[in-house]
Amino acid sequence: MASVDLNPTAVENYANPKTCFFHVIFKAASLAFYILSAIFVSNFVIIFVVTVLLAALDFWVVKNVSGRILVGLRWWNEINDLGESVWKFESLDQESLARMNKKDSWLFWWTLYLTAALWIVLAIFSLIRLQADYLLVIGVCLTLSIANIIGFTKCRKDAKQKIQQFASQTIASQFSSTIQSAFSVV
Amino acid sequence: MSHSDTIPLHQSSQSDIDEIENLIHASVQSSSATVLPARPPSPPRASIPISSSPSPSPSPFISSNLPPLPPTNHKVPSVPTAPPPPPLPSSSSRGVAPTGFGPAPNTLTEPVWDTVKRDLSRIVSNLKLVVFPNPYREDPGKALRDWDLWGPFFFIVFLGLALSWSASVKKSEVFAVAFALLAAGAVILTLNVLLLGGHIIFFQSLSLLGYCLFPLDVGAIICMLKDNVILKVIVVSVTLAWSSWAAYPFMSSAVNPRRKALALYPVFLMYVSVGFLIIAID
Repeated sequence: MASVDLNPTAVENYANPKTCFFHVIFKAASLAFYILSAIFVSNFVIIFVVTVLLAALDFWVVKNVSGRILVGLRWWNEINDLGESVWKFESLDQESLARMNKKDSWLFWWTLYLTAALWIVLAIFSLIRLQADYLLVIGVCLTLSIANIIGFTKCRKDAKQKIQQFASQTIASQFSSTIQSAFSVV
Repeated sequence: MSHSDTIPLHQSSQSDIDEIENLIHASVQSSSATVLPARPPSPPRASIPISSSPSPSPSPFISSNLPPLPPTNHKVPSVPTAPPPPPLPSSSSRGVAPTGFGPAPNTLTEPVWDTVKRDLSRIVSNLKLVVFPNPYREDPGKALRDWDLWGPFFFIVFLGLALSWSASVKKSEVFAVAFALLAAGAVILTLNVLLLGGHIIFFQSLSLLGYCLFPLDVGAIICMLKDNVILKVIVVSVTLAWSSWAAYPFMSSAVNPRRKALALYPVFLMYVSVGFLIIAID
């Protein structure tokens, strides 16, 4: 007997669950450790080192792994032969970008923004309590989050620009070839 | 990396012969585009495919870079050797990436372990370049080309931990002070060089100053293990001299020769103060 397919085909799951997991886990771990450490751990050095280490690991994972896999973007800085610093952006081509899982990229961007927002909230708390050393920890973690946000946003803009350029170039070349073939027939 | 990114896409009509010539040039170019950048100090690493933002033609796209062959009798004597189209991405000549994204740039689809190895080897090579004598020191601007902040991060944290461990009281404050001092000191020293009209890149200089802390790290460990004051003084002076020697070529080449002392003196001062911290901690 015929069975009705109740699931609409449009619902997609996470395409890279392991990467998503790692993307989130370090951020969550560093935030959780920082917040809970105030209750359980009295040694500031441990809080500092563990939190900053987790934040640095998260930075590396986002920049090198989950950025590539979840949204197909990558950014880095190089120094060219003239000794100038050049920011390089790399992105997948348009079809691959369009094929990226929507849920993946949604998770990617939203957790980036959310983490930075949470760190800012914690910074405000530290400011109110006038704890300079905790502000130091938060400062480092916040810097790392914001660096990733800025890098990836620039990379995304660059990718869009490249796609537009490519589109206009194809149109231009098609146009010129049409003209050429039109003239050649004459 | 240093490919000519200003070559415009040549769209004018050309004779068939010119087109074929261009195709030959393009294929020769793309095969030679896989050559690693000619930078002797850099460790050999996966050559990053050419898809930088200023390039006019987005490299991952494989579709037509050349205008299609028109069956014309040529109208305009075209530029004798038309500039070859922007070199096809080196990635496309490397074969298709396994994930089914087509000829995607290599660093985007490389396995994670490759990335880890690349970064680790970069840290080690940067350390060797900065702290140990090597023939490339003479060209310091090029030596620390692949700057990274991981090495400095670990060295600063390590130094803070060593100092904090040696301290018998107020361990947390010692650590926080050491970390803040070193981090802020590196930033201020870089700003100092920039304000003196020197040509140095902010992150490169931060990276350099961080790597130069390695000798002081060694000194701090030795002082941590042996608590003899005289030994500490000797060890600290030796490592201090080593750190300053390591930082000297990079800093001095960045500024005007008349301002060399102005740029180097604060660096030396910072290392001396760290040295004092190491000696004085008990």
